[in-house]
Amino acid sequence: MSIFDFEDYKINRRTLLKTSAAVGASTLLYPAMSAFAKSDDPIKIGQIDPQTGTYAALGGNQIAGARLAVDQINAKGGVMGRPLQLLVEDSAANVGQSVQKARKLVNRDKVHFLMGAVSSSVALAVSQAAQDMNTIYMDIGGHADAVTGDKCSWNTFRTCSTTWLLTAGDFQAIFDKYGKRWYFITPDYSFGHALHHDYLTQLKKAGGTEAGNALAPLGTTDFSSYLIKAKSANPDALIVLGAGDDMINTLKQATQFGLNKSMGVGGPMMELEVLQSLPDAARYGMWNMEWYWDQPNVPHVADFVDAYRKANGGKTPTARSWFGFASAHALALATEKAKSLDAQKVAKALEGLELPPEVALQPNKAIYRAGDHQLIGSEYPGTIKSGGKYPDLFQVTDVVDSSKIARSVEEKGCRITYPS
Amino acid sequence: MELLLFNIFNGLIIGIFYALMALGLSLILGLNGIINFSHGGFLALGGYIAYSLSPVIGFWGALIVSPFIVGLLGLVVERILIRPLYSRDPLFSLLLTFGLAMIMEDLIRTFWGANGLPFNVPAALSHPLSQTYFFVTGYRVFLVVLALLAIGSLFALLRYTRIGVRIRAGNADLETVSALGINIYRLRAINFGVGILFAGLAGVLAAGRLGLTPTMGASLIMPSFVAIIVGGVGSLLGSLLGGIIIGVAAGIVTTYYPAASDVVIYVIMAVVLVVRPRGLLGQEGLLE
Repeated sequence: MSIFDFEDYKINRRTLLKTSAAVGASTLLYPAMSAFAKSDDPIKIGQIDPQTGTYAALGGNQIAGARLAVDQINAKGGVMGRPLQLLVEDSAANVGQSVQKARKLVNRDKVHFLMGAVSSSVALAVSQAAQDMNTIYMDIGGHADAVTGDKCSWNTFRTCSTTWLLTAGDFQAIFDKYGKRWYFITPDYSFGHALHHDYLTQLKKAGGTEAGNALAPLGTTDFSSYLIKAKSANPDALIVLGAGDDMINTLKQATQFGLNKSMGVGGPMMELEVLQSLPDAARYGMWNMEWYWDQPNVPHVADFVDAYRKANGGKTPTARSWFGFASAHALALATEKAKSLDAQKVAKALEGLELPPEVALQPNKAIYRAGDHQLIGSEYPGTIKSGGKYPDLFQVTDVVDSSKIARSVEEKGCRITYPS
Repeated sequence: MELLLFNIFNGLIIGIFYALMALGLSLILGLNGIINFSHGGFLALGGYIAYSLSPVIGFWGALIVSPFIVGLLGLVVERILIRPLYSRDPLFSLLLTFGLAMIMEDLIRTFWGANGLPFNVPAALSHPLSQTYFFVTGYRVFLVVLALLAIGSLFALLRYTRIGVRIRAGNADLETVSALGINIYRLRAINFGVGILFAGLAGVLAAGRLGLTPTMGASLIMPSFVAIIVGGVGSLLGSLLGGIIIGVAAGIVTTYYPAASDVVIYVIMAVVLVVRPRGLLGQEGLLE
């Protein structure tokens, strides 16, 4: 055969079939098992979190936190005398793949509970799929209000904050410090829209004005045109609503343009993962965190941080790690309390469940609210330490009790009905 | 009005960076006949290697060394993986590079971690040059100059050197070039290596401006594909023009309707494909 076989380079039917078969087969890879010894009758949690793609770092930390919790529980004799097993599947933060993995975990691997998600869209989709399969779903890290708001359901619980709680956590502090004309850079999907709406509600109520709102498609890399617009609007504060890479790219470029010298910069959700990725010059501003590792006056936190570091090569736990940790513990505690694996009984047991101090790891009470299944705990507004060294990068100025800022179940529009 | 001018100027800067990424893609697509989906992977690798090298040899050293390491890696990949596929259906190389892109992303995640890394540019470059034109930073001027220099030297290489003439001849008619006794395997290998070297260079430059994350390649490379199609496959000037057009268009749209800034480049691509499928400066017959 000559190398110049140029004729007929068409994709024929057979090639197409072969390709599709190969792609199909690749999705059937076996789930990664936790290190627990094989037992005849374990209680299984299926965790669907991104291990690849943009949210891989966040998903990885949620998984590491859950693993630590499962190891702790098993070391103390498991749940109802049975070992707890964690089956992890990669969602790649993709809605279709997540739902497919959720069905596989329940139908084939026979998991008793589902948990996971970084993206709000994934959380909403898996919540629905889990409801169809009559299975408890714990949303670990998808924030949009709707999950425990107007789209809430009897089987779905959530450990991370709502977008409302994120914005209410530091609104007042930013408003008081920077001023009342705000310019928003908003990622153009459910999470961003929810944050913008929530901040704006509070801004108007406090007598502030919106200097502008630029919707940036998710995954925008070059924010220079947005920043030029923001600068020309001359606001008091530039509010960055993006997460992950979007946040990193915005802040890095805002710093290069010197925007932080002429206006305040802040936002509702800063994560240790993002701070770690930013060069020194781009670490500034007023932000909100959902959990922080450095809480010297709160019992058990230091033990948790030590145990986590030991299990993860010295890495410091982030809020994401804590979400995974608390979620796995919550499922185990509720099962123990219900003395049953029946989904409805466990759901009832989770309603009003208060996390014990060694799981809550915060100064305020952390309770899964019965009315909407939202964990109400704490927010950690503060400022970034300039010149800080990892992991000491954030100065928490105030730990806000979420029960004081949360909207009521009725305001959120959630009505939970159990199937009969 | 000032806002619009700012954004047009800003779009020019972005566009030239798109063009730099598009150059390597365009070279490889031309002579090797491969739609290189792994280009973004090599780009990210360039940034990461520079990150690891910069504590030892500094930013400037890394800027020079890292692209060459990536280029060498490109040679190895070409020899082992790409070469056996030249005579096969293009679908094979397309799938191969697609898979390679995923493997490279995961390798980066394994070696450097899933979390993004902070990459600093020299302090001398990291400030705006003037208060009014705050978006013209030292680094961006440097980036544009370097990109133009790279484009210029590539142009000169193709125009005035023996190997360049052969690459261009191979683009036009590979069979005849081979019949004239030129080792087209070596020619294609060199071409691939140079293309990947450009990816590495773009990667180091991007890492200074944006976040250094395992997925950076995938998110950066799409506009470059569009730049090639708009500018015309096989034309380096076309890639430059295509990059500038979509850069400026995205800038203008962001001024008035930011949510569409992503879509506009694909609209331009669609229009070009309908009206002039070969692209603005593309060779007649290619992709038509």
